[in-house]
Amino acid sequence: MPKVTYVTPSGDEVVVNSDEPNLMQAAVTNQVEGILGDCGGVASCATCHVHIDPQWIDKVGPATDIEQGMLELEDNATDNSRLGCQVKLTPELDGLVVRVVGQ
Amino acid sequence: MPEHIDPFREDRQQSGVKTATAEGKEVPLVLRLQDIRKTCKDTKTFSNDNPMMIVLHSEAHVRNVRQLPIETDPPEHTDYRALVEPIYRKPQQPEYQAEMRKLVAGMVKNAAANGEVEVVREFAVPLQSRGLAQLLGLPQSEAEIWIGWGVHIFRDAQLGSKGSEVDKYIFSKYEEMQGSDGDDFFSILNRIDFRDRKLTMEEKHGYANMAFAGGRDTVINTISSILVYLAEHPEAIEFLREDEMHITTATEEFVRYVSPVTIISRTCPHATEVLGHQVEAGERIGLCWPSANRDETIFDNPDEVVLDRAPNPHVGFGFGAHNCLGQHQARLIVRSLLHEVCDQLDKIEFIEAVPEIEEESSYSRQVGYKSARIKFVS
Ligand code: HEM
Ligand code: FES
Repeated sequence: MPKVTYVTPSGDEVVVNSDEPNLMQAAVTNQVEGILGDCGGVASCATCHVHIDPQWIDKVGPATDIEQGMLELEDNATDNSRLGCQVKLTPELDGLVVRVVGQ
Repeated sequence: MPEHIDPFREDRQQSGVKTATAEGKEVPLVLRLQDIRKTCKDTKTFSNDNPMMIVLHSEAHVRNVRQLPIETDPPEHTDYRALVEPIYRKPQQPEYQAEMRKLVAGMVKNAAANGEVEVVREFAVPLQSRGLAQLLGLPQSEAEIWIGWGVHIFRDAQLGSKGSEVDKYIFSKYEEMQGSDGDDFFSILNRIDFRDRKLTMEEKHGYANMAFAGGRDTVINTISSILVYLAEHPEAIEFLREDEMHITTATEEFVRYVSPVTIISRTCPHATEVLGHQVEAGERIGLCWPSANRDETIFDNPDEVVLDRAPNPHVGFGFGAHNCLGQHQARLIVRSLLHEVCDQLDKIEFIEAVPEIEEESSYSRQVGYKSARIKFVS
């Protein structure tokens, strides 16, 4: 079960150990502030926008073209932006740190 | 008749625009997904601040109030929307979800017991109305009144416009709930503060008008389309049963495929150009959601229903600041229905269906059904 730290928009650090399939679902199940997951994880709502900690970006990988299409129009998007629902939680991501963008 | 399914394909591929005549003007319709998203983001060039004109054809003959929050721009829109967002997000609460599931379970059970059902008026209209009573925190007896308002509050093929009846109802409800500390929609809006003042009756009217009109034909057409699809594709029910996640992805896929809102307009306060079309100050453009949802540069096999399509970056619920406030309710209704079909039914038998075809100057398109007879078999 990978451990993930979410830094919420209000600055809290929420640590989650989850066997959910992706970063969005792990956050929603644990009621992490600022991640809503409105569309259920199909990349159509952007309510799961996170910034991957720079130290982790190589392991997590860049946004896909479909995510890019959404993210290029999001306020607060950076090179480290991802849609949480499109980031699979694999054992290699144990220890991952992400910042929740929120609305 | 594939031209009814995606009448925008050729123009989308060639130029990304098609025009349609409305109010004596040629309105350019934006057809590609990314162009639509960009237009939604630029609320200064493409404004919602034009009462009665949010859909392609003026609604001035059926209502006289600015719908809230849709017919406003940021920064006002941001505050107007925030005021009612908690009500529209109720469907995300577990207790609310359980209640909706019970409502849908009962309706599916009844329909199965009765044998044949006309899906539009005997199932979808009541389900939308009863779901709305739950959302607005009103007793189910109110829904029985609303069922008589037809498929579209402003233009029902059989009943005509119920606009003035709905308005009368809205005023009487705000009156009745004067001083009430209830947690229903009308009591809440009576007592809530907006920018350090109470809402005016006009504002309260605009919120309620939107709540009744906004999610009506959209939800009804989505439900009838889904049930006819499941009747015509018996293997789909089996597929939905296989994996809980299929209910989630199928819900989004049905919204993409049906795209029950064809056009929402924007008004250009200043002259501008849209994909080679000159738009004069005060004139409008259209956002064509179903076309964006068939954009072949984004969606593989766009004309197919792929029940586990993911990712599925559709814009059926809009995009940006005005994205649909009723999306949580709409999703919950659809997900509950799919769950109950899987749990209770063996199959759905198709009997007959009459498609609803929207006719415009430059295209015609199927949006749900006028009527559809099916049989729920448990
Ligand atoms: C499948 C069902 C539905 C679809 C496809 C749909 C579609 C849409 C779309 C495309 C917009 C964007 C309008 C714009 O960009 O200006 C919108 C906005 C809106 N919808 Fe829905 N809708 C659905 C159900 C509902 C329901 C059930 C309700 C209410 C109970 C509702 C209430 C609203 C409201 C209030 C807005 C305006 C939001 C704002 O301006 O901030 N919708 N809807
Ligand atoms: S949950 Fe909707 S885009 Fe990720």
